[in-house]
Amino acid sequence: MKKVKIEVCSGSECVMMGSMDIIEAIEGLKQVKQQLKLKAQIEIVPCKCLGPCKNENLAPVVKINDELITQATGDMVMSKIIAAIKD
Amino acid sequence: MQGIYTSVTKIRRQVFAAVAKLAYEHDEYSSIEELPYQIIPGEVPTYRDSVFVERAIVGERLRLAMGLPLRRADEHSALSKGVTECAVPKKFFSAPLVDVISFACNACPTNSYEVSNNCRGCLAHPCTSVCPVKAISIVDGKSFIDKEKCVRCGRCQQACPYSAIVHYDRPCAAACGVDAIGSDDLGRAKIDHDKCVSCGQCIVNCPFGAIADKSEIFQIIQSIKRGDKVCAAIAPSFAGQLGPLATAEKLHEAFKILGFDDVVEVALGADKGAVAEAHHYAHKIPEEQPFLATSCCPSWSVLAKRTLPDLVDCVSESDTPMIETAKVIKKRNPNTKVVFVGPCVAKKLEATRKIVAGYVDFVITFEELMGMFVAKGVEFGDLTNDEPLNDASADGRGYAVAGGVADAIVKNINALYPDKEVKVDRAEGLKDCKKMLMLAKAGKRNGYLLEGMACPGGCIGGAGTLMPLNKASAAVKKYQNDSPYEIAKDNPNIDE
Repeated sequence: MKKVKIEVCSGSECVMMGSMDIIEAIEGLKQVKQQLKLKAQIEIVPCKCLGPCKNENLAPVVKINDELITQATGDMVMSKIIAAIKD
Repeated sequence: MQGIYTSVTKIRRQVFAAVAKLAYEHDEYSSIEELPYQIIPGEVPTYRDSVFVERAIVGERLRLAMGLPLRRADEHSALSKGVTECAVPKKFFSAPLVDVISFACNACPTNSYEVSNNCRGCLAHPCTSVCPVKAISIVDGKSFIDKEKCVRCGRCQQACPYSAIVHYDRPCAAACGVDAIGSDDLGRAKIDHDKCVSCGQCIVNCPFGAIADKSEIFQIIQSIKRGDKVCAAIAPSFAGQLGPLATAEKLHEAFKILGFDDVVEVALGADKGAVAEAHHYAHKIPEEQPFLATSCCPSWSVLAKRTLPDLVDCVSESDTPMIETAKVIKKRNPNTKVVFVGPCVAKKLEATRKIVAGYVDFVITFEELMGMFVAKGVEFGDLTNDEPLNDASADGRGYAVAGGVADAIVKNINALYPDKEVKVDRAEGLKDCKKMLMLAKAGKRNGYLLEGMACPGGCIGGAGTLMPLNKASAAVKKYQNDSPYEIAKDNPNIDE
């Protein structure tokens, strides 16, 4: 089974700019895995500061299978996860 | 929209972080004039029609975050007006605590029924049959409501087979449990400050972010810079709020980086309160007083006293957990400044009361605290000097969730007075609190312990929180289980 690992930065700036909400979005996605026909294991890992935010306005930061995403939003992350699975 | 991250949330928090940074890094504050250009850069609007409106709104938010009053939109004054006067190491802001930024308000329609595009101009048009005042008719093949005649009964909405009739209610007014929101002459929301109890639900429910409260971040940092000893009294609802890495053991070191000297759990004050209320209930209810209403929620407490002027004594006179904890801190060192850190806007109001102001020097919310952590670059993931927070029992920590206050008091009554029968009722949200109070007024709650919470879900649903209720509730549960003490009466710290 395919594995998608999403590291969601839980550093102060990213939490302030909504990284916890991105975790909510991914959890929402996990709940509709069957309807979306997504055969994959989705793992959410809250992690400490990944770094990029120190250069202003790049929070929240998320890493999907080692691809770094800055200024992440819930929908951006969800579509990247779906794309990674359907690959 | 408590617990949901939106653009409104983003701007509000950027403002807190900017004000904290300004206070920490500067001694002179005219550069506040530049902040709106940092938060809203460029020339293309992102959120509204005009980038100038966006900056003007951010400007007013910055002022409120510094404890300054809103400026009139029809007179000229500098953004930095009053900035030097407010840079003082003590309480500065004056009423009103919560207010509408009038030009940010969308003037949403108040209580009205509208026919939407879902209307299919059906043959039956039951909407016209059920209207008691004949306000709805068929015009150009679709239903049409005459607003002058409409009495807002809602029968047309119920009758429509296509759900085509929609009820509009201004979100701020709908969230307000004391009907304190009306309109100004331009149809924009206006708060009646005689009715408002500062619960903050309107702040969190306005989809245009037009309502905001004042903050004390600026004055707290002035106090820290002056070298005052500052202690944080942190409410039990903090569990999980600042992200999964911000655990209780990290708080001491995190607050030290901000310039605080110590951190104490407000759940300690809650433990003291739970035991005091247990004794009060056992001895006085129902023989001396018909019922006992809790008073830890300031908005509920104000509403209760206002609704039951003849039964004011039934609202607990015990010190709230915030005050009890502040008293403990001041007893240890009378020169310490106490900063209550909580989920709540109303606590800011409670702390302006003369009796309380002697113990609680400042109040901030978790969101405002987050701004301070970001301004100082505090990374919980990098902190290693863990220091456990062990002041309170599971009972006191449970105050954070609706039902938790009553549970704690009942548990202690059962332990201290096993033969005493206890009856409990509770309500969340000021509308339901009012209903419960009316029942008490009518004599239908005699012998009861009444718990009232202004915010749905209890304190974890407060206007200053960052997490959705289900996550916050689970985090509080875990925090309760982590306590070394099961029951308030067995917490040795309550004798301090």
